[in-house]
Amino acid sequence: MKMLRKLFLGMALALSISSGTAFAAAGNHDMYADDESVLEVYNRAMFSFNNVFNHYVFMPVAEFYRDITTPFVRKRISNIFDNLHEPVSAGNYLLQADPKRSGISLSRFVINSTLGLFGMFDVAEAWGLPEKQTGFDDTFAEWCIPDGPYLVLPFLGPSTPRAAVSTGLAFVFDPVYWTTINDANVHDKIAYGMAVVYGVTAMEQNMDLLKDLESNSMDYYAAMKAAYMQNRKNKGCFKDDLSTTAGYDFDFGIEDETDY
Amino acid sequence: MKKYVFMAAVLTLFLYALPARADVDAAAAQKFVEDVTNDGIENIINANISQKEKDARFAKLFNNALDMKFIGQFVLGRYWRTATPAQREAFIDAYREMNIKTWSKRFDEFKGRDFKFTGTTPSNSANQVFVNSTVPMPEGEPAKVVWRVKQTGNSFKIVDIIIENVSLAITARNEYNAYIKKAPNGIDDLIKDLQQKASGNDSAKK
Repeated sequence: MKMLRKLFLGMALALSISSGTAFAAAGNHDMYADDESVLEVYNRAMFSFNNVFNHYVFMPVAEFYRDITTPFVRKRISNIFDNLHEPVSAGNYLLQADPKRSGISLSRFVINSTLGLFGMFDVAEAWGLPEKQTGFDDTFAEWCIPDGPYLVLPFLGPSTPRAAVSTGLAFVFDPVYWTTINDANVHDKIAYGMAVVYGVTAMEQNMDLLKDLESNSMDYYAAMKAAYMQNRKNKGCFKDDLSTTAGYDFDFGIEDETDY
Repeated sequence: MKKYVFMAAVLTLFLYALPARADVDAAAAQKFVEDVTNDGIENIINANISQKEKDARFAKLFNNALDMKFIGQFVLGRYWRTATPAQREAFIDAYREMNIKTWSKRFDEFKGRDFKFTGTTPSNSANQVFVNSTVPMPEGEPAKVVWRVKQTGNSFKIVDIIIENVSLAITARNEYNAYIKKAPNGIDDLIKDLQQKASGNDSAKK
């Protein structure tokens, strides 16, 4: 298991290095352009692999999880994960120079971890402290670090260099990860076990949407890429007003419009 | 003499200002989208009618509210220029049918949710405006739904729906362009595949 961790850290490092070079080229990167690069070939292959894995392993497990739980139970479990993310939110709000939100996240973590029974119940919300998550990716966007190109990760799926680094950091800064770090016997088991369980709950939540998108698209890969990359735009320092967000060319020559 | 110069100046200003002002009636555009969503919620989702009748009503609403010819043209992108008139027509029809089928299935998801309209944003494109709205979600913050509306005379049509920054038109454009580029028979394959999906025959899955 030690090996796995080293592998993981190595991967995160490699990604951050490659993203560094990717960021340099990101300025003239056009997400709508046809991309026949090596990256596209890799992405499509990895996407197909993930898709097979999802259909034969991931989704059946998520399906099973859905069968053996009620919505009430699933809500408690997803609340626990949301609660564990609060310290990451609190830290990132600080990095984004938003101490007020940071304080809210931290208060929520304290209140919900205790009175909310390990985060199962959102007591803080009833006290006027509503949940608003943030993460490293929002911080990086605030710092004007570009997203880089679309990148499909093994098992984890759609990503970008910035998103991948953010996911890695969120994993390392998860309270479960750092509170068990001194106990080598259980540390890896708990950290990776939690990650797998989290993955299953996330899949259970997104499964229907994924199936819908897949069955209604002509090119699932291209549809997913376009949707994912658009959703990541308009963050932090890259925030534009709406007219430019959706400011794609939606004007046609009149002659085109009438000549069929 | 001075008077004439002044009048000419006013007239010039007025002429410059005119195209911008006559562009789009944003308030009317928002009213149009509100009416469409209310119609959908009251007369389709909440109506106590058969599924068949619901589908029929949805198809009618869809055709009245959206400018599918305009959208289809954008979605095909550069392939629109090289397509024959017959291909263009077949594509628009297949694209329309496919969308009606998928969205009438998805439509029920909006049961019990109300769109909250939050004003409009001007667009860079001629005769178009964005109508902003939010929809409450079962989890977390409400979703942002933005409607791109095009005005022609006094009539309005929706030409794009942008959900949480994701434009349906851009997504379809990327997807179909990638598809056509890879397909051996290009646009004809796309039309055939769309028709198959619209008729509910998913056996030709890619």
